[in-house]
Amino acid sequence: MAVSCLTRALRSLSLSRPVLVSSQAAPQPKLGALVSSGAGQWRGFLTTASLEQNRTYWKQREKYSIRPMGMKKTGGRDHTGRVRTHGIGGGHKQKYRMIDFQRLRYEAPDGGRPFEEKVVEVRYDPCRSADIALVAGGNRKRWIIATETMQAGNIIKTSGVIGRMAVSANEGDAYPLGALPVGTLVNNLEVQPGRGAEYIRAAGTSGVLLRKVNGTAIVQLPSKQQVQVLETCMVTVGRVSNVDHNKRVIGKAGRNRWLGIRPSSGLWQRKGGWAGRKIKPLPPMKSYVNRPSISAA
Amino acid sequence: MLISGRRGCLLQARRHLALTCPSAAKIAPPRRPREKVEIPGLEVITYGERMHYVPGLAKPVYPPWEKDYKDPGYYKSPPAQEMALYKQKPCYVFNQRTSMLEGVRQAAWLTKTQVNSGLPPHLLTLAESLESRVEDQSERVQNAIKHARFWDTTESRPDKEKYSKTLLLNLLHLCATLQSSSSAQRRRILAENYSLAATWRRGEDLFQVRGQNGLLQCSMDALPQVCEEKDISATVDHVLETFYPVSPTIDLQKVNVYKEMNCTGFRDDYLYPHAHTLYFLESTDPQWKLKPDQFRAKMFMFAFGNALARAHKLYGTEPQSLLQRPITVQAVGSNGRIFQFLVFQLNTTDLDQDEGIKNQMWLDADVELYDFAKVRPLVKKKQVKVPAGLSGYKAEAFRKFLALYLHGAA
Repeated sequence: MAVSCLTRALRSLSLSRPVLVSSQAAPQPKLGALVSSGAGQWRGFLTTASLEQNRTYWKQREKYSIRPMGMKKTGGRDHTGRVRTHGIGGGHKQKYRMIDFQRLRYEAPDGGRPFEEKVVEVRYDPCRSADIALVAGGNRKRWIIATETMQAGNIIKTSGVIGRMAVSANEGDAYPLGALPVGTLVNNLEVQPGRGAEYIRAAGTSGVLLRKVNGTAIVQLPSKQQVQVLETCMVTVGRVSNVDHNKRVIGKAGRNRWLGIRPSSGLWQRKGGWAGRKIKPLPPMKSYVNRPSISAA
Repeated sequence: MLISGRRGCLLQARRHLALTCPSAAKIAPPRRPREKVEIPGLEVITYGERMHYVPGLAKPVYPPWEKDYKDPGYYKSPPAQEMALYKQKPCYVFNQRTSMLEGVRQAAWLTKTQVNSGLPPHLLTLAESLESRVEDQSERVQNAIKHARFWDTTESRPDKEKYSKTLLLNLLHLCATLQSSSSAQRRRILAENYSLAATWRRGEDLFQVRGQNGLLQCSMDALPQVCEEKDISATVDHVLETFYPVSPTIDLQKVNVYKEMNCTGFRDDYLYPHAHTLYFLESTDPQWKLKPDQFRAKMFMFAFGNALARAHKLYGTEPQSLLQRPITVQAVGSNGRIFQFLVFQLNTTDLDQDEGIKNQMWLDADVELYDFAKVRPLVKKKQVKVPAGLSGYKAEAFRKFLALYLHGAA
């Protein structure tokens, strides 16, 4: 069948007259919608297999595993193959370790009680600025973002219970926001309960629990933006590890290249309204709490 | 040819060889097939009977065809729930590739054992008495090491896997020559690649040791008891070390399809039924590399498995709080330079509860046989730090090796 496609397409090649390829090519979906417009314009046909190198198959694994897995670098290219983000490419090879951002994940499906885990190892992760910790509890091991003073051998607690009194939390423990006293430094904040931590994960960052207002809590993010979330959202206490990350000196262009950062374009471009220091008031507080509105009734 | 130039095309099926082309735009995304609505009770008219496609009629759905004959070339095993040996209660299996998180402590809890560091005292005295059996014993050992590390290959130096195995076999051969009578030698034999299986209950869980462990030396006579009765009864007071919050079943393979069997690996009429010493070599496969603590735990578990399988065969599978004759099994592990010696004594098969008599284990970890065996000398700043050849030979390791070998025979 492929041979007949090929011969049919080759037969349609003709330099003298415009080619009516569409009628012949219609039943073969592989050749695509060939457009015959103008004189002598010829579409080539595919002689290679479809390009699978842009596919992110390495990311599609559903089962959790602590084994580091090989990553494919994109170089800033998207699924079409064009550069979507400039300045990315090269750099040392990295292996991806699956991090469990949902701290309150019970091992047994019917578990509902607070549990403890032991920190086995704290190590460097090439994929992020923070360090990661291998914790083991019950029958499973998982990677989590390490906090500032986490060391091998520590016991960390995860609890989903909100008591009447605020808990005096140790660093590295995870509690819902409603259980923590106001003013604690927190990290790995999730904005919807059960969604997994998406905020305050970078090295050395921490948010501050500002106040608790009937069923919701207000947290200040490292960018001074304030966020209102439900009080059942899980959060880890303390600052994220690798605190001196922002004080590091790159030192040379080569180190940036090892990190996968390619040089920016050297062309002088007139800076627009986006450049320069801006002094403006804080944006209003962002609320992730969905309350049923009165108009819906 | 794949993505050409500045005007790269959509990958899908288009190739064009011109640099400027107005129709290098994206094609519409492929249309998803329309969703089929299932209305129960409605009889669907299909074109199956007409044997050709008719627009407007539904596509016939046929039941999946399954072979009515057995074809071993295309066999798909049934899911776990449908297998004959499927059981609701899971079993935790320790196999030769398991790397336990807590190492020896976890193995001690699983096997209800008291761990003592250092070899038992009378084995040490036996080791010292073997000091100068033959005058050139240490020279013979050094020759054995040199053969394994330097002379065994046509390349510059042999691989770790090769030299550790050669060293072990050389040392075994040496011990056999140093044995006083040949009749004692005839009561021993080496066996390799036998499959061990041992099952026991601990608490509410079922555990198994399965797999092919290293080299085994079996003998016609059982090893004598290593410690006295009063020491055995003193183990009642020993409290097993727990490691909360980690569960003791971590890292063990959890299976639902298993068979509760106890098998020493040999048939009943085997002439050398008693397991004497197990010899373990470190695996060089990077995926299954074990840390030293995990390697010792593996030695421990397999020594225990051998002892337990033997006990089940002799005394039956019913748990017994004190065996009439405790079963002793020895184990030696090596990576070519560093040796780990282990003596395990099985006193009880009643492993259900934490209280009662415990088993005992003596562990001598990280005994070096020699410091360096370099093919080329290590030179720093034009000074020789480590000379080429064998350096830093220590006789103690071989003495212990020989003591474990001759234990129960001399």
